[in-house]
Amino acid sequence: MRLTPVNTAVLLLGPIAFFVLFFAAPFALLIGESFARPDGGITLSNYVAVLTDGYYWKALLNTLLISFWVTVVCFVLGYPLAYFIVFHVPSAGVRRGIYVLLVTPLFTSNIVRAFGWIVILGRRGMVNSSLIAIGLIEAPLDLLYSKTAIVIGLAYILLPVMTLSVCSVLQTVDRSLIEAARDLGARPSRAFLAVTFPLSLPGVVAGSIIVFALSVSAYVIPSILSGGREMVTPILIFQQYTATFRPDIGAALSVVLLVVTLLLIGAYLFFLERRLRVAV
Amino acid sequence: MRVSLNLADRLGRLSIAGISCLVLVFLALPLVVVVAISFTQTAYLKFPPQGFTWHWYWKVVSDPTFVEAFVVSSQLAAAATATALLLGMPAALVFARRNFRGARALSAVFLSPLVLPTIVLGVAILQYASALGFARSFWALYVGHVVLVTPYVIRTSIASLSGMDPALEEAAQDLGATRVQTFFLITLPQIKPGVIAGALFAFINSWINVEVSIFNSTAQFVTIPVKLFNYIQFNIDPTLAAVSALTIYIAILVVVAIDLAVGIEKAAVNTTTNARS
Repeated sequence: MRLTPVNTAVLLLGPIAFFVLFFAAPFALLIGESFARPDGGITLSNYVAVLTDGYYWKALLNTLLISFWVTVVCFVLGYPLAYFIVFHVPSAGVRRGIYVLLVTPLFTSNIVRAFGWIVILGRRGMVNSSLIAIGLIEAPLDLLYSKTAIVIGLAYILLPVMTLSVCSVLQTVDRSLIEAARDLGARPSRAFLAVTFPLSLPGVVAGSIIVFALSVSAYVIPSILSGGREMVTPILIFQQYTATFRPDIGAALSVVLLVVTLLLIGAYLFFLERRLRVAV
Repeated sequence: MRVSLNLADRLGRLSIAGISCLVLVFLALPLVVVVAISFTQTAYLKFPPQGFTWHWYWKVVSDPTFVEAFVVSSQLAAAATATALLLGMPAALVFARRNFRGARALSAVFLSPLVLPTIVLGVAILQYASALGFARSFWALYVGHVVLVTPYVIRTSIASLSGMDPALEEAAQDLGATRVQTFFLITLPQIKPGVIAGALFAFINSWINVEVSIFNSTAQFVTIPVKLFNYIQFNIDPTLAAVSALTIYIAILVVVAIDLAVGIEKAAVNTTTNARS
């Protein structure tokens, strides 16, 4: 449809007004709050408090460490699945079934998915009762409420994101290149390492960054599966508003989290551009 | 001369298939165990579940606080989705049909709620609504959820608009249709499946949200995920499993609906990854 500048302005009026009022303004207020002094002046003291306190740093490093392992697990599990979906599943029906399995967890609340892991890993859960039933252990193991449990829970939530990201790139890989490598005598493994994998790398990087960014800002899974034993930045933010009532510190921590995420998104967009160039 | 597959190659193929099957089991397992355990006859969580009973489901539907949370969540998701359509479709139309300076930056802003920390959006709405006097109300939840789900409508609508032949719209306009007529008579019927899929993505993502809702609801006025979040802190029992299972059934219904509208494969790849158009 040919749109005049006036049409464009009319169409964009509603969405821009809504996003200015209820997206930009709330974020601006939050950023302002992080610099606000109780008497109305401007101060950096909230940031000094946050950035000089070892406790906050430890939480941030813990968050980054957990996110790193989540990304690794998502890659290790998600890449073979994406490869399988794109190259090995011959029937459209089976592929459809796999996509349903990928999307259904995405449409279920984090809280329900965390609860699923409590049922699996809990003291009377599936893993413990199975191990006891076959006689491998006598007393239940403490599988829940640890860093490992958080990594499993988050990797579970973000695995579909990684898989779909890799799928979208593998679908665009020119199959005649793989055919050519095979015709020139390369074994499938060599064709994969020399052709398919390098071409899919932008999707891997983009998927990894998005998975990393989403785990850095995850609140529900760490909160449920940490059992209070692990601290991450989003839990700290939550506590500033519900337990310690320091919205100024909470605002500064939120801005720190926002900056970390924006840096990651910047990197993501950078690789997306490269991916487009590769695709061309 | 092509080398035929040897034993190692066959093993490689087999192990990819094997790993993929295990990963698919991993994906299904937590949802399957929640559904299984919601039918247990024991009063506490025990795996494997024992017997079969609808008792926990009856307990949920006869508990007014759960029913009310379901009603709040449904109203909120419906209102947020309707608004997201009203805001997102015009924006998508502009981004798909007109290129102007700053268009890319603007669309990035509209799509950014997909990747910005949702908990920070929740906090920001809480402070903003407190300052303006509507904190922890339906309207605070509503504006937060609209911001959260509008990107889904924009993204699927852009994908559908780019997939349709612009010559159809131009023909209608050349034949004297106004832009409004062209949109409702030509464009909308063409992109309807994509819009339905976008609306379903928007609805379900409002329906399952915890982070925005938790800061903007009260102990009495809660959505179902927040109700579950508060409940799980103190009780881990089959009632929780029954409510969770109900939300899983809803997720499956929405997946089926999206599959019927546009095909789940296309919708999943378009909406969850950053394929630009």
